[in-house]
Amino acid sequence: MAAQLSGILRLTDLDDFIIPSQECVKPVKVEKKPGKSSGIIRIEDDGSYVQMNLDGGFQKLEKAKITLNDCLACSGCITSAESVLIIQQSHEELYKVLNENKVTGSQHQKLVVVSVSPQSRASLAAKYNLGITDTARRLTAFFKNLGVHSVFDTTFSRNFSLLESQREFVQRFRSHNQDNKALPMLASACPGWICYAEKTHGSYIIPYISTTRSPQQVMGSLVKDYFAKQQATTADQVYHVTVMPCYDKKLEASRPDFFNTEYNTRDVDCVITSGEVLKMLEKEGVSLSNVDPVPLDSMFDSETEEEMIGHSGGGSGGYLEHIFTHAAKELFATEVHEVTYKTLRNRDFQEVTLEKDGAAVLRFALAYGFRNIQNLVQKLKRGKLTYHYVEVMACPSGCLNGGGQIRAEGPKASKDLLQQVEELYSNVKVQAPEVNQRVQELYHQWLNHSDSNSIEKSLHTQYHAVERTSSALNIKW
Amino acid sequence: MKQRLKLEGRLAGHPDSRAWFTAWSPAGSLLASCGGDRAVRVWASEGTEWVCKWVLEDGHQRTVRKVAWSPCGNYLASVSFDATTCIWRKQDGGFECITTLEGHENEVKSVAWAPSGNLLATCSRDKSVWVWEVDEEDEYECVSVLNAHTQDVKHVIWHPNGELLVSGSYDNSIKLYKEEDDDWVCFDTLEGHESTVWSIAFDQNGDRLASCSDDKTLKIWKEYKPGNEQGVMCNGSNSCWKCICTLSGYHTRTVYDVSWCPNTGAIATACGDDAIRVFEEDPNSDPHQPTFSLVAHVPKAHAQDVNCVAWNPKQPGLLASCSDDGDIAIWRYEAELATGCST
Repeated sequence: MAAQLSGILRLTDLDDFIIPSQECVKPVKVEKKPGKSSGIIRIEDDGSYVQMNLDGGFQKLEKAKITLNDCLACSGCITSAESVLIIQQSHEELYKVLNENKVTGSQHQKLVVVSVSPQSRASLAAKYNLGITDTARRLTAFFKNLGVHSVFDTTFSRNFSLLESQREFVQRFRSHNQDNKALPMLASACPGWICYAEKTHGSYIIPYISTTRSPQQVMGSLVKDYFAKQQATTADQVYHVTVMPCYDKKLEASRPDFFNTEYNTRDVDCVITSGEVLKMLEKEGVSLSNVDPVPLDSMFDSETEEEMIGHSGGGSGGYLEHIFTHAAKELFATEVHEVTYKTLRNRDFQEVTLEKDGAAVLRFALAYGFRNIQNLVQKLKRGKLTYHYVEVMACPSGCLNGGGQIRAEGPKASKDLLQQVEELYSNVKVQAPEVNQRVQELYHQWLNHSDSNSIEKSLHTQYHAVERTSSALNIKW
Repeated sequence: MKQRLKLEGRLAGHPDSRAWFTAWSPAGSLLASCGGDRAVRVWASEGTEWVCKWVLEDGHQRTVRKVAWSPCGNYLASVSFDATTCIWRKQDGGFECITTLEGHENEVKSVAWAPSGNLLATCSRDKSVWVWEVDEEDEYECVSVLNAHTQDVKHVIWHPNGELLVSGSYDNSIKLYKEEDDDWVCFDTLEGHESTVWSIAFDQNGDRLASCSDDKTLKIWKEYKPGNEQGVMCNGSNSCWKCICTLSGYHTRTVYDVSWCPNTGAIATACGDDAIRVFEEDPNSDPHQPTFSLVAHVPKAHAQDVNCVAWNPKQPGLLASCSDDGDIAIWRYEAELATGCST
C-alpha cells in the first residue's frame, strides 16, 4: 500500500489504516468543446495522453485533478486523503501565501496564523530530541522567520471540544429513555472515522456521533471569528493553517460545514502534517535544534505563555477520560480520581466502567483502528453494543500514530519512536478544561454563555450520509 | 498414458449458471457447491448416486464464489460477490444461516477456517484479507484487517496444523501471515508467478505449498526453518518458503485451482482449457529439487473452464470438480500401486 501514499508517509509496519478504495469514480475529466475532434488519443512513452486534431497535429491532454471536495462528495472511497492529489492543502500553498504577502503592500497582506496540534509538536520533539516547550518555542520562531504572524496551540481549542463533549454526553444520557439514538455517543474528533461512517454506514451511525467540533475546527472558529475581530480584520483577511498528525484533517477542513459563506473563506484554509513541517525545515535547510527559541504566542493581548499545558487521558485528546469523570460527577455524584482501563481483545480496544452498588452504571470504551471500528459498527447495527460512550479513532494507537506523523524506518524503530512520542506528549503539566480562566472568559465574551445559538454555530457541526452511487466504471461480475 | 482418472458421476450442480467451487466436509461424506445462481448446494452419495440433499438459498444476493466447512463439520461458510460472508449451522437435518459477516467493501473471493475452528479468514477484491474470531456463542469479531496485497485477493488458506495464513492475489504474489502481539502481520511474500495467483494448497503436513496461476504454471514451495542444513537464508525466527519446482508446459490456459491429496500425495489442477490434470512426485526425486510427472489428463473434463478441483479428505482418490458449464463432476483416481501390480 505504500505506493499509494505520498513520499513522507510510508507505513511499513501497520496494516490497519483505512485505505483508499478502488472505486474512485472521478478519475477522468471530460472537457466537452464544440466542434469535431478526431477521437484518436495516443499514449506517449512518458505516460502523457495526446489527442490528434483533425489537421493531423497533436495536442497534449490535461490530466484530471481530483479536489478534496470531489472526494468528500463521492461514495467511492471510504477515506482517501492520502491518495488524492492534494493540491489545495500543502506546505507549498502556505509558501505561496507567504510569498504573496512579501510582494504586496501592507494593506493587502493576509494575517497568517499557524495552529499547531500537540501531537505534531510531540512528533517533531522526538525527531529533534527536544523537550515539548522547547519545541514549541523553536517552531514558533521557525514559522515567524518565514513570515507567519501568530503561532497558536490547538490544546487551547481542545478545551472547548472537551467541555462541549462533556455537556453533550450528560444531555444525551439524560434523554436516552426518550431517544433511543442518544446513546452510545461516539467521538467526533477523528475525520477518518467520520468520513468512513458517513460513506459506508450513513444514517445508521450518524445519529450516534457527537456533534462537537474537533479541536482543529474549534480553532477555526476562534481564529476566524474571535481573533480576526480582535485584530480588527475580517475572516477572509486571515489565512489559517493548522499542523496536524493526520492527512484526513485536510478533508475535515474542506467540509462545506466549515465554510464561512459570509466571508467566502474556510475556518481552516490549509492543513499541513507533521511530516510536511519536517519537509519545510529540510527545504529551508535548518534543523529545529538550531532555531533560536522565542516566547510563545497567546491569543490574548500582551500575554505570553510560559509553559505548554496538556490534557489527561492519552494522545488522542482524552475525550473518554474527561467525559467519564464529568459524567460520574454530574450523573452519579461520584468523584473519579483515577480512570482504570481494561484491555479487551487488543491494546486498541479498552474499557472503563463506573460501578455503583455492584452495577455498572457507566460503560465507556476506546476503539482505535479499522478492525475495532468494524466490530463496533457491526455490534451497533445488531443492537449489541452496550457502551454509553466510545472514543473512536481510525488509527491504531490513536492520533500520536497518525498517518501524518514523522515516520521511522522498520517495525522496531517505528514502535520505539511511537513510544518516545507518547512519553514526550504526556510529559507536560495537565489542566482540566474547567479551570482554564481564558476558556471561561471566552464562553462569556465570545459565545455569550446563555446564547445556545452561537455555541451551536461555533462549537458544533453536522454530518451527512453519502449516498452510494453506481457508476458504469464499477461493473462487477 | 494410461487413463487413471475415471468419471463416476456428473451432476447438474448449478444449471444455467457457473459452478464456482466445491468443498468436501471434513468427514468426506458431504460435498458443498456454490455458483452464479446465488445458491449453495449440499450433496451426499446414496448408493452409487450423488444427490442434492439441501439447497441453501436466500443467504446471498449475488454469485456465491466459495464455500468452506468448519473443521468440526457443523458449520459452512459461504462468501459472495455481494460483499458478505454467511455462516450456516447444520442442525435438525438442515442448514440455518446464523450470521452474516459484513465489512468487506466489495466482492468476497475466498474463505477458510483455521484448523482450530476458532478463526476464519476471508479475502476480497477490496485487496484485503480479514481474520475473524468466533466464540462459544457463535459471535464473530474481526481481529485483523490485512492490507498487504496491492490488488484483488483471490484465495486464502490456513496451514493444516499451525496458525499460518496464506493468500494469493492478482498482484502475482503469495503472502504469508502470522499472529504477532495482538495482531496479524504479513511476514513473507512469495514472488515468482508472472500473473495472477488463483489458488494455493498445502500438502498433508503443511511442509510444502502448491500454487497455480494465470501464467499457466504450477509452482511448489518448500518451508525451510531457521538454521536448516541446506543453508537457505531465513529472516530472524521466521521460516523461509522457497520455490523448489515449477511445472510449465502442461497447461495451455490459466490454472484456476490446485488440490493436494492428503492421502495419495497426488496434485490435481483445474484449468481454463477445460481439462483436469493429475501430477505425482517422481519416486526417489530430490526433496530439495523434486520432479513431478503428469500421470492423468482428461482434456474435455468439462464443456467449459474448470474452476475447482477438490480431493476427498477421507476417500483416497475421490475427486470433485466443477465448471463454468454449471456441472459438478465426481472422479475416481487410481493411484499407481507401490508393488508389482502395475505390470
